Amino acid sequence: MNTGLAQAAVISLVYTLLIFLVAWFAHHRKKIGRSIAGNPYIYTLCIAVYCTSWTFYGSVGKAATTGIDFLMVYLGPSLAAFSWFFLLRRIIRISKEHNITSIADFISLRYGKSIWLGALITLIAIFGIMPYIALQIKAVSTSFYLISGLQDKTIHIPHGSSDLPLPTGLLLALTLSIFSVIFGARRLISSERHEGLMAAVAFESLVKLVSMFGVGIFVTYYLFDGFADIFTRFGNAHPADFARIFTLSSSTGEGATIPSLTTLFMSTAAIMLLPRQFHVMVIENSDERHVNTAMWLFPTYMFLINLFVMPIALGGILITGSRAGADFFVINLPLITGHNGIAMLAFLGGLSAAAGMVMVESVAISTMLLNHIFMPFIVHLTPQSWFPYLLINLKRLGIFLVIFLGYFYYRNVGESYMLVNMGMNSFAASCQFMPAMVGALYWRRGNRYGAITGTLLGFIIWFYTLLLPSFSKSGWLGSSTLEQGPFGIGLLKPTALFGLSGMDIWSHSLFWSMLFNISAYIICSIILPQNEKERDQVRKFIGVFEFERRQTQHAATKRLSKPVTITQFVTLMTKFIGESDAERAISGYLGGRQQHAEVNVSEFELPNLKRFTEKTLAGSVGAAAAGAIVDSFLSDMGSRMESVYDIFSTVRTSLDQSREALFVRLKASEIINRTLDLQIIMDDLLNLLLKEFQLDVAIIQLSDDNNMLSVKSYQGSNRHPINKHHWFMESSPYFQMVQFDRNVHFVNDTRLATGTIPLDRTIAEGIVSFAHIPILREGQPSLGIVSVFSKTIPGLFTEEFISLLTSLAGQLAQAVTIVREIDARDKERIQKEQALLENARVTRDMEIAQQIQISLLPDKAPELMGIEMAGRCMPAAHVGGDYYDFFLRDDHTIDLLIADVSGHSVGAALIMAEVRTLLRPQINTAHSASAILQSLNSQLYDDLTRAELFITMFYCKYSSATGRLSYANAGHNHPLISRRGEKRCIELDAEGLILGVRPSVMFEELQCELYKGDVLLFYTDGLNEAVNQEGELFGTERICTHLATVSHLPARAIIDSFYKTVTDFSGTDILQDDISLVVLKIL
Amino acid sequence: MPAKLGHKLLRRLQLRESWIIFFIMGIIMMNFPFLQIFNKPDTIFGLPLMFLYLVVGWAVSIFVIYLFTLGVGNSDEKRRETRQP
Repeated sequence: MNTGLAQAAVISLVYTLLIFLVAWFAHHRKKIGRSIAGNPYIYTLCIAVYCTSWTFYGSVGKAATTGIDFLMVYLGPSLAAFSWFFLLRRIIRISKEHNITSIADFISLRYGKSIWLGALITLIAIFGIMPYIALQIKAVSTSFYLISGLQDKTIHIPHGSSDLPLPTGLLLALTLSIFSVIFGARRLISSERHEGLMAAVAFESLVKLVSMFGVGIFVTYYLFDGFADIFTRFGNAHPADFARIFTLSSSTGEGATIPSLTTLFMSTAAIMLLPRQFHVMVIENSDERHVNTAMWLFPTYMFLINLFVMPIALGGILITGSRAGADFFVINLPLITGHNGIAMLAFLGGLSAAAGMVMVESVAISTMLLNHIFMPFIVHLTPQSWFPYLLINLKRLGIFLVIFLGYFYYRNVGESYMLVNMGMNSFAASCQFMPAMVGALYWRRGNRYGAITGTLLGFIIWFYTLLLPSFSKSGWLGSSTLEQGPFGIGLLKPTALFGLSGMDIWSHSLFWSMLFNISAYIICSIILPQNEKERDQVRKFIGVFEFERRQTQHAATKRLSKPVTITQFVTLMTKFIGESDAERAISGYLGGRQQHAEVNVSEFELPNLKRFTEKTLAGSVGAAAAGAIVDSFLSDMGSRMESVYDIFSTVRTSLDQSREALFVRLKASEIINRTLDLQIIMDDLLNLLLKEFQLDVAIIQLSDDNNMLSVKSYQGSNRHPINKHHWFMESSPYFQMVQFDRNVHFVNDTRLATGTIPLDRTIAEGIVSFAHIPILREGQPSLGIVSVFSKTIPGLFTEEFISLLTSLAGQLAQAVTIVREIDARDKERIQKEQALLENARVTRDMEIAQQIQISLLPDKAPELMGIEMAGRCMPAAHVGGDYYDFFLRDDHTIDLLIADVSGHSVGAALIMAEVRTLLRPQINTAHSASAILQSLNSQLYDDLTRAELFITMFYCKYSSATGRLSYANAGHNHPLISRRGEKRCIELDAEGLILGVRPSVMFEELQCELYKGDVLLFYTDGLNEAVNQEGELFGTERICTHLATVSHLPARAIIDSFYKTVTDFSGTDILQDDISLVVLKIL
Repeated sequence: MPAKLGHKLLRRLQLRESWIIFFIMGIIMMNFPFLQIFNKPDTIFGLPLMFLYLVVGWAVSIFVIYLFTLGVGNSDEKRRETRQP
């Protein structure tokens, strides 16, 4: 006995460790990114968690007692597999989309995230699953006694003097709880896949298949001689039983096929609706395509595992001689025939079947428990930093709770029931989800009230007609209620409600609960309306394939009344799912987008962010709770979701242009093209905006050249003059922002606007929303701002409206640019005209100055006996600085001078005039040339220095009486004498400094004799410095040569020929410098 | 020729309606009138009639689903191939 116990215990332990290793290995593989669980075969094996110890032990029991209809439990799911192609795939798609965590989450999400519905479904699941888990515990503990040879229900461990009784059921419950916690509740996020757990489950599914197959082959081909042999021998030994087992309950008479149909119906529903099936098929699905394989592979699995059930059952009856204990034929047959190895294999198979189911079920239900029972309360608390720990531990607690509820049921009720019958209770419970579930996917009008009422009624009837009797059967409740109905009212008898008798209790319960469930669901859904939240979800659930595109458009029709930063959302998420998960989630959301977390998100982005936060939280706490959390967070922030005022009606002509928007654009371009008067354009445009969009005030400001904004147009109701106390000026920080970043800035609700910019007077004016739009063309600086204000509609500025306003502002910018360009062109033209006028005036002045200057020069040379003189000045600019003069002292003495004031300006001309004025008095004195220069220098020095000018001057006196020429020179070009018979010219040179360099200068005075025929040429530097095109100077040499050739000509002709020669030489009529020539010819 | 026929058959099976039709057909086969036909304690080759009906019927239905999924797999692959360029 003890050896059997030890052996069984050790093998159980080793096996548990093996499963643990498998789970750990899968978990590890996932962590390093090489998942082994993400393939259709593992997926199928996980779905096979459907086959529990009910299948493993119970089926044989059922086959041995009621016969072939045990198969119905597996034919149902096989049939259901046909529907997976359209049903399961749709459920998976929706669940992935919304981070669904459980079946309760799924159904409550569809009915407007109803908290009540979620809680109700969770409750049903917990109660409904109780018998099912009890079944597993019962099966495993019973099989454990069998294999270890114990007759007692507890293991006695020697403990000091007394024995410590240790019930195996409790031990099993504890082990399974711990295992489930380790692999099912490591992390809070329940919408993620639990690869470790799934690998363990898949492994167990494999073990139970192998084990069942092994036992089946052992019985069929070792103990007997194949299928036909067993059937024939059984038919011969028990002909009555044979007929009963292989026909559908013909022994119980009329209406006997009802139980098999009930079973078929319930199992078809259960494969989709049991929380653990939903969990493995939907939540743990990694790829939609895996469903394709599972659709045929899962029925095949069931086919194989059930193939030998009948032979084992019949063989068991043949060997043991009775149907008693048929539930454990699988383990008993090898034991009886002495094949302990096979028995151990069977035991492990049963253990696997039970363990897999309990783990998945408890994880699935604890998730529901956390999300739909605990969360609604937690949501009302202020989030704390320790919330993630609280939540994860609540989830772990949930696992223990679920398993120990099952244990409790097993201890109290389990003994009196067959395995299969216990399981049927759970199936009937899960059927209560069916109307709401099917309606969720296929009936648009199905609503929350219908779902809650129907499910609740179904649950109550199930509880009353199935669970209650099971308690009372085991002596918990007085049997009188069961026999006569409560308070003796026969109509309310739990097993024959409203007098419906003659049915088995499951068909009876199923009929009434489904009747009430479905009718309540339909009636309430038809009578009562759906709320807005639900309608939203209906679109997502029922239109999940058809309306995906439109859905994204509809998404933007709500807005948050007060902006919330990304950081605030992250903080919120951190409080529920922990920092690392929150960070990972948000970085996944932002993805490539470079958005700084501190910055306020654009108003149009916010609803998306909110949805994302909800979805992320939903992955951990369920959709209903997540919605509540985010909503309460927003209301704490003073923000809420509100409907957007749809300024455009719903008629959409093109992609996203409403007819109104098109109309306004058209009108605007009409206004702009009608005139070039900017004022009219601006006024009309603002009035158009006011009229079409129910705005109250609109203002256009344009910036001038110094970037100062000034109001150019102001339209709207009760206007007051704009000054710095006007309420409009409160918005000037916005103007600066708009001018700076060239973006639209708007406030959709002034009462909720952040306090950084005070808007008291604006609010007092009754403004509830406003927007400032830069007037600019793409890629160009802003020309000004259009400001629009509304007193009636908060939330007026939708993305669509803003984009319309922006485009209108762009059109206005075009107009402003054009008008400004035209203005600028006009201005330029006027400037040019003025410049021309000015120029003409100056020219005229210069001409006058020139005439005056020329008039200052002697108009003709004085006549003196014996000499001929001529002088002429050819100024280069209008006014020159050359000067020459003759002063006739007496009949035979003449003073002659030539001078050149540096520069060719009016200044030079003025100095020249001064020189002339100063010289005039000198002629009456008898001063010598040098003395005249000397006094001239001292008198002119100050003026010349001040004007920064110099004068070169040659002064000479000629007396025709003596024929002598006395002269002095102040740095002037040396005059030339051409004398007959001499080839070279004589240069008249005398020492002397330029006038205006030093205040006091001594000049050398020289004399020379002039002879008949001598020609003297006085000239200024314009002559010898004249340049031809090659850059060659005219030079003294040429002057001299030319003078010699023309010396026979009269003086005036000599001058003419010089001018002609110089212009010929330089090749142009325009002189570079003034040229003054004076010729003195001795006759 | 048989391959061509099979291919054609698979393509027909892709229709969503055919899934529903087979689903409903399965429910009918599993229900009273049909079951009543085999609801006799007779044997064929030593195997009970009802047992044979259910087991063979089950195997056939699994095979039908298998054929379905082949069709689905085909169309899935085709879609992926055409999407690649």
